[in-house]
Amino acid sequence: MSAKSPLYYVVLLGVITSLSFCHRQHLPAGAAEVNEINTDLSEQLKQSLVYLNVSAYVYNQMQPWKSAEIVQKAGFGCAVGPYEVLTTARNASDAAFIKARRHGQNEFIPAEVKVIDYESNLCLLELDKDAAGDPLEPLDFAEDYDKGARVRSYRLSATGNLTTGRGYLDKAKVYKSTTSYASFLNFTVANASDASAGAQLYCMGQKPIGITCWADTDAQEVGLIPAITINRFLADARRGQYDGFGTAGFVTRTLLDPTRRAWLKMPEDMKEGVYVAKVYNLGTGSDILNENDVILAIDGRSLNAYGRFEHEQFGRISYHHLITGHSIGEDVTFDIWRDGKKQQLKTKARNFEASKMLVPYYEYGKQPEYVVTAGLVFQRLTRDYLQVWGDDWRGKVPPHLYHYYRDLAFAPTDQRRDIVILSYILPANINLGYHGLGRMVVSKFNGKEISRLADILDAQKLNPESKYDIVEFEHDYPTVVIPRTELQFADIAIARNYGITKLVNVEP
Amino acid sequence: MRLPKIIVVVTAAAVLLCGLGRAGGAVARLGERSLDKSVVMIRSVQQEFDYITPWKQTEVAQGIGSGFVISGRRILTNAHNASNYKYVEVRKEYEAKRYPARVAFIGHDCDLAVLTVDDDSFFNDMVPLELGPLPKVNSTVQTYGFPVGGRRISVTEGVVSRIQMDVYSHSRADSHLVVQTDAAINPGNSGGPVLQNGKVVGVAFQGLREAENIGYLIPTTVIEHFLADIEDGKYDGFGSVGFAFYPGLHSRSYADYLKVPPGQQGIVILSTLMHSSVENVLQAGDVITRVDDFNIDNDGMIEIYGLRLHMAEAIERRQIGENVEISFYRNGELNKIAAVVALNKPILPYWRQYDAEPRYEVFAGLTFVPVSRNFLETWGRNWITDMPFYLRYLFNNSEQLNTSRQRKEYVVLSEILPDEVNSYSSGFRSKVVGSVNGIDIHSLSDLRDAFAQSRDGFCIIKFMGTAAPLILDSEKAKQRHPDIMEKYQVPVETDLEEIS
Repeated sequence: MSAKSPLYYVVLLGVITSLSFCHRQHLPAGAAEVNEINTDLSEQLKQSLVYLNVSAYVYNQMQPWKSAEIVQKAGFGCAVGPYEVLTTARNASDAAFIKARRHGQNEFIPAEVKVIDYESNLCLLELDKDAAGDPLEPLDFAEDYDKGARVRSYRLSATGNLTTGRGYLDKAKVYKSTTSYASFLNFTVANASDASAGAQLYCMGQKPIGITCWADTDAQEVGLIPAITINRFLADARRGQYDGFGTAGFVTRTLLDPTRRAWLKMPEDMKEGVYVAKVYNLGTGSDILNENDVILAIDGRSLNAYGRFEHEQFGRISYHHLITGHSIGEDVTFDIWRDGKKQQLKTKARNFEASKMLVPYYEYGKQPEYVVTAGLVFQRLTRDYLQVWGDDWRGKVPPHLYHYYRDLAFAPTDQRRDIVILSYILPANINLGYHGLGRMVVSKFNGKEISRLADILDAQKLNPESKYDIVEFEHDYPTVVIPRTELQFADIAIARNYGITKLVNVEP
Repeated sequence: MRLPKIIVVVTAAAVLLCGLGRAGGAVARLGERSLDKSVVMIRSVQQEFDYITPWKQTEVAQGIGSGFVISGRRILTNAHNASNYKYVEVRKEYEAKRYPARVAFIGHDCDLAVLTVDDDSFFNDMVPLELGPLPKVNSTVQTYGFPVGGRRISVTEGVVSRIQMDVYSHSRADSHLVVQTDAAINPGNSGGPVLQNGKVVGVAFQGLREAENIGYLIPTTVIEHFLADIEDGKYDGFGSVGFAFYPGLHSRSYADYLKVPPGQQGIVILSTLMHSSVENVLQAGDVITRVDDFNIDNDGMIEIYGLRLHMAEAIERRQIGENVEISFYRNGELNKIAAVVALNKPILPYWRQYDAEPRYEVFAGLTFVPVSRNFLETWGRNWITDMPFYLRYLFNNSEQLNTSRQRKEYVVLSEILPDEVNSYSSGFRSKVVGSVNGIDIHSLSDLRDAFAQSRDGFCIIKFMGTAAPLILDSEKAKQRHPDIMEKYQVPVETDLEEIS
């Protein structure tokens, strides 16, 4: 695995707009605080906000060969360049077509994804310049945080009205991203009068400070992706090679228990440190940390027993902010306690594509991989697939499948890169006797151990003298025996009968 | 779609007791014979255990069911009328007197029980009923008992709708032969006789929720097996041979791959149960074609009693310890073996348990119990989906996950009695113990010795599916232990009675 594996990024234009070309909007600064509280920027923001309508693919996990259905999503965006719009990755995920509407203009403007990062839940769109007309007025995001400050929200509605709301900046806290496994700093706005996610712009006084990424309408709370994340995302995106944010390659537990500290041979007067409960095969620190280590500090910032450090601006926040604060490849220093003594370990910040996981956490914007042979539908086990079981999927999916997601998702090896399952069987004469089988983990195909879905294609070429393809499974399931002489015609008949236009969709 | 079964027993119908008495006049009759000298009302008071903190018991409940007199001055009824009982009494319809009774034998796997009455005069004027054969489908049967809706013996009539293997709701897991009838079977009918031509053809025992007139009776094949079992003074239960199989050898290619001759039907062995008599005799890929005198078809069915039934019926006919002859193909060769019928219980009991005080071990406030269905059901109505993942994984796959021949059961940290010594342990509640101080825990009885050890002054408890161990200060744990037991009124330190 490359330590510098790029995240999902889509560069659709050869020319990256330089900051120097931006006609950037400078909002009045230095207003008195009392005025800032009541400042309404609606007028100034009219040429900076857009309404987004996204036509998105919805793939059918159980019939992955089907042409995706299209659903409509609405969201918001704000200008960060003359024709560049910032929104959330959630808004733009699985996009087939994106169109934007700006204030005072009836016509929609086509937009394309320039960079999308599901870990930080941010996306940079580029508007069609011809359709957009005059440049937008780009915003500068201010990395300000004033706990308790009054803030205002702004969004351009579907009908072209600029709508505002109010709230209070309640706290800065690290939350799990709503689009990935990663954890990022969010600001929480309390008493939000217009609680909606989808990249509403929030301003504190004159200054844009973030866009919304989640909303709890019952609690009237919203979460903001703060400027500190946005600015790093934009800087990285404009370099032309988007690398993304570092993500943690380990799991910690609190280290409050004095008995556990004594067991770890920590001195009584050593109060800092968080316990490493699990180490992944992917992500920052996965190459140097061990279970039962205690992380005392990251980059010299001392961690308490909860894994939090004292941030000069945001107060006590999780160490994840230190990891995501690194660009890929930058040095990260861990001060740890191991085997009864302090050690300092250095590594590089890493992240990884979700597709590198043993059970991918997400598969945005791509058709699920599958192989159909003799009516047997083989698929890669993914979180998206497991979610077919509905809201309570964790309690409903076959536990052996869930075990791979829960315990081993971040632990791919050279020997096991995918979990390949027989999802179910399309009944046909060639598979008579097996019709009810499914949700089984494939172990071998024609004697070859299956490490990834593509291995099935290789395995089908093995044992050319054999009359049969032989499929074996984990746990106590029958062996599936496919007569090769009937296979070619059976596949044609099955494809026609079940409307399968392509029997194989596997990434090389 | 399969509808959930419900047990047809009343647990809170004690109101009936106060007003019952012989009203004279008409009584239920079987031809010229009155059934009030055979059918009795059974009232029981039951109390379940708390499977999280097993030294406690739950609320007392009482219920009413039916039963009938059989030979040998005995009363036959359902196990669920008398399970977890604190007190049982029987009543005749025509007499005010209550007769305290005792459970002589109880078979929870077949939902049958035999009661005896201390006052032997109870039987003096009673007429025992005889057992008859399996009824024919579409023949008429009569159900007798004391269901809700009145105080007298009730009789309903219906036809036999079908006969098949099905799940017995009392244990939630065991499957035996059942007879389905459209004769009304309501709460309170449980344990009552179902008659045809003057003989008992079944014991009414359960019905189908959300369906009209679908009731079930335990046929005499099961009753006779139960009565034969208890002749030696103890109940052993229904046995099996101990293999898992796939009833789907419809693929000629599969049969050819397994070298089964053309035209030969059978079932494919997928695995054998650890410690069973066939563990090292049969193997995955063997194809069983015959059990005793019964040919097995590709659906796993046999012709027996003039019916097409699941092949398990051929094995269930045998008592524990008896042999069955199994014919199977391996590598194209036909083999025959004698397999011993045994209980062959899996490591994690997936059936409900009754009448057995749950075992436990408490150390430093940490309460450990064996993982059982009763424990898992403490997660409530949706326990299957709501219980913690690893318990669900074990419940579904314990046979595949366990590789230890020493394992007798899984042990779970069921509760933590709060104390300073275990203040940081709450995150480990409901986790399954893997080892204590380096000693693998294969049963509850392994814990005591393991806790007596220590590792450099620490007690280290590792859990399955969890990376971080629970750490206790060994000396402090031992010091605090008596105070904790006293503070939380744990009556005995352990109850480590071995698994029967």
